[in-house]
Amino acid sequence: MAKTMDVIREIFGLLFGQDPELRQIIGVTLRMSTLSALVSALVGIPLGVILGSTEFKAKRFVNRILHTLMGLPPVVAGLIVFLFLSRSGPLGTLKLLFTVTAMVIAQIVLITPIMTGLTANIVSVKAPLIHETAAGIGLRPFQRMLYIIYECRVQFVSTLLTGFGRAIAEVGAVQMVGGNVQFKTRVMTTAIMMQTNMGHFEFAIALGIVLLVIAFLINSLVSRIQESAGLA
Amino acid sequence: MISVRDVLVQVGGRVILDIPLLKFEEGRRYGLIGENGSGKTTLLRVLAGTLLPTQGQVTRQNPNSLGYMPQAPYAFSFSVLRNVEMALENTPERRDNAVRALEAVGMRNFLAARGNKLSGGEAQRMAVARMIARPRKLLLLDEPTSSTDIRGTDSIENTLLDYARNSGCTLIFSTHSPAQALRLAQEVIFLHQGKILEKGPALEVLENPQTESARLFLQHWRI
Repeated sequence: MAKTMDVIREIFGLLFGQDPELRQIIGVTLRMSTLSALVSALVGIPLGVILGSTEFKAKRFVNRILHTLMGLPPVVAGLIVFLFLSRSGPLGTLKLLFTVTAMVIAQIVLITPIMTGLTANIVSVKAPLIHETAAGIGLRPFQRMLYIIYECRVQFVSTLLTGFGRAIAEVGAVQMVGGNVQFKTRVMTTAIMMQTNMGHFEFAIALGIVLLVIAFLINSLVSRIQESAGLA
Repeated sequence: MISVRDVLVQVGGRVILDIPLLKFEEGRRYGLIGENGSGKTTLLRVLAGTLLPTQGQVTRQNPNSLGYMPQAPYAFSFSVLRNVEMALENTPERRDNAVRALEAVGMRNFLAARGNKLSGGEAQRMAVARMIARPRKLLLLDEPTSSTDIRGTDSIENTLLDYARNSGCTLIFSTHSPAQALRLAQEVIFLHQGKILEKGPALEVLENPQTESARLFLQHWRI
């Protein structure tokens, strides 16, 4: 019992104390997840809007590729980025391997198809109704597209936050291309894995709690946005 | 005037609309009747230009003065007033015209309500307001009262009749109710399996159908 209390005390000490490594890990994690979610959204959401609102010949084939990429195993994404960025790879001269930038690139490879797929699904449900109604009152195609985007805006924010949630919880790819370097590329998930392997459970649990709190805050934010838009 | 010539619509190899020639005279009111899947919605969508026929031609004299209300009109998540204003040019009279149109369909008290929070019937009334908020030469309405109660139906019918008479626009609507067709339309077009089987003055077609399909469809109404 006394040992359990010691562990709990240590967890609280880490969470509310001034541990420089823990703060640095949280900082890198948030920076990497935010950046990768934003870049993925900038690419994935417009692609999803186009895919969800237009009809073209190869659409089924494109959807099949997209669904495959949505399920891309993180280690495969990590391996691809690793091979590209390794010294003998095509982008080796950029010397990005084992940097936060490499981790962001791996996350973008993983998250962009997910954001594109989610966006396309959302848009494909609403677009035909909006298109028909807006065309019926005489709006031009460009205006119709703007209204489709406007009506899906809350879901787009949810998509962005889903991407952020995916990025912050990912471990395989960032471990491969980031290398889990202390005070440089160590993030919460890779740190939890390492600390658990080393038997430092207090540190791992403290990081786990931070991750859960962030997940809770993200969910609260999504619900709040949906409520304020009158969609919840 | 609007007309269709040799129009054929096929979906997955199945013909869902086949009309050799159909002309609508300016300023007249037409009711499309027929059972589910008879081609009423397809015909309206072809006339509106939101569905391109597999083959054939549609001629519209005033394509920019056309209003089309689909069967399930989308209610945008902003205010009811803005939902109607979006159909209007940005002029100083925009707001007044939108309010007047909403008043005509009994929705004066809904100006600030969110469109996506309306009931099916209210959304339909708002969609009708969007149609009549500005002068149009051609109105295409797909079952404009399918979700409204008796009062709402009455209000929409009277509003549409007033609008059509005052503006001189051509009104083409689909309905499952022969009674509504009789109240609103001067001419009735009976569709069956994508083909026009009967067309003529409303009372004549409804009282004295010439085809077996139309007789079967209308016999339920008589009961």
